Amino acid sequence: MTRQELDAALARLGLDVPEKERDEIAGAAHLVEDMVARLRPVGGRDVAAEPAHVVRFPEG
Amino acid sequence: MVPDFLTIAEAARLIERKELSPVELVESRLDRIARLDGRLNSFIRVLAEEARADARAAEAEIAADRYRGSLHGIPIGLKDIYETAGVATTGHSKVMQDHVPRADAFSVARLRDAGAIVMGKLATHEFAFGGPSFDLPWPPARNPWDLSRFTGGSSSGTGAAVAAGLVLGGTGSDTGGSIRGPAAFCGLAGIKPTYGLISRVGILPLAFSLDHAGPLAWTAEDSAIMLQAMAGHDPADPASADHLVPDYRAALQRDVSGLRLGLVRHFYERDNEANAATCDAIAAAARTLEGLGCSVCEVTLSPLADWVACGVVIMLCEAYAIHEENLRRRFTDYGEMFRDRMVLAGLITGADYVQALRRRRELIDELDRAMESLDLLLTAAAPTEAPPIDAVGKFSTFERPLLTMPFNVTGSPAMSVCCGYTDSGLPLSFQIVGKRFDDATVLRLAHAYEQATPWRDRRPALQ
Repeated sequence: MTRQELDAALARLGLDVPEKERDEIAGAAHLVEDMVARLRPVGGRDVAAEPAHVVRFPEG
Repeated sequence: MVPDFLTIAEAARLIERKELSPVELVESRLDRIARLDGRLNSFIRVLAEEARADARAAEAEIAADRYRGSLHGIPIGLKDIYETAGVATTGHSKVMQDHVPRADAFSVARLRDAGAIVMGKLATHEFAFGGPSFDLPWPPARNPWDLSRFTGGSSSGTGAAVAAGLVLGGTGSDTGGSIRGPAAFCGLAGIKPTYGLISRVGILPLAFSLDHAGPLAWTAEDSAIMLQAMAGHDPADPASADHLVPDYRAALQRDVSGLRLGLVRHFYERDNEANAATCDAIAAAARTLEGLGCSVCEVTLSPLADWVACGVVIMLCEAYAIHEENLRRRFTDYGEMFRDRMVLAGLITGADYVQALRRRRELIDELDRAMESLDLLLTAAAPTEAPPIDAVGKFSTFERPLLTMPFNVTGSPAMSVCCGYTDSGLPLSFQIVGKRFDDATVLRLAHAYEQATPWRDRRPALQ
């Protein structure tokens, strides 16, 4: 992630991050991007594949 | 003279026979805290007068033959995310340093009902996530085996205080390994129980669907004693399971021969490579368990990074939602480690979060299938012994996949057990994993292993 991309994201999030921390965060963003990339199987999922912890309304 | 180190079970036997007074025991721990905690930093707040009053009350009850059980008169500590009535619960953070709850957490109330004596509030990583940090109102806890080493986190103060014998047991929480990590690095028994077994009510959350409360203690038997008190249905917690709580301590006495164990070797030999001392210690532990009559076979699961990606994305999103408002208003009141990790959380999209939840269901199904013909899994709890505390980087938790996270994703009971020491005397560990709500079998195997090995005889040499 570039500094410009990070700055834009921080503005969208409304976070006032000190200048000296921004380069380090931008440099670490790939760690989370790599994890996010692992969540999607090649070829995608069945459209009906449910997430864990779907809402269960009380019987009554 | 009260010994420097006692297990909960040992102290309970003496107290029940009226050979040890809770007042003496509490005074001996307060003396130890005064002598040692200036270097360990395990306590945020020592509740000396409250503990003395509770000890006198316990002594009077026991003298009147109203002994409540194995926690009666036992000094414990609480990770400072467990709320305590009238006593500040800070999450080790400036953001909540003035937060004084009106009520005890559900599990704290249960521990008090069982007669445990709360000695104080223990250090944690900031909100059970950001640490070890040196820019918070209190310093990070230090490892009693070597003060220059990391305790593991986030239940850092509990790990240090129990290992140093300042308390006989303590509470932790585990969202990605925060009970099992400190247990591994401090040489303790630490169980993350099945999700839903212990109420989360009154415990500051990190990530609602991954947070597990649980005990840290010196032995599996002590863990069983504490878990017995903490477990139970709480209608106020929407995740609390209305499930029969078995007698965990009684279950320890059953034979372990015939148990079928699956060794997940690729997690620590390929996916997050452990050092030679850890690999050798786990191999030796597996041989010991075979010697006790268990069978051990190798099991292959999805790569560790898949489990951790799923868990970390869920954890970050849920944590960000909890702290969103304060991050906007008071960003620099958080420590730098916590707040900068949270910025990464803010970069994750809603679609990413739902994909992580979908992946979670697949991984839960995968583990259930893998365990159909097994009773327990074995793997590493940490890839090495405790590293130097100043070697833990701001984003290190994302750089190597956590060996503990898969079982937060699945909600399975998982326990870190000491399985030896390095040449320099630092503890090594392995992890035992059970089927959901079969915490008793996890504890049973851990107890049998501890009884068959000499590792519980060694304690940190603090002066």
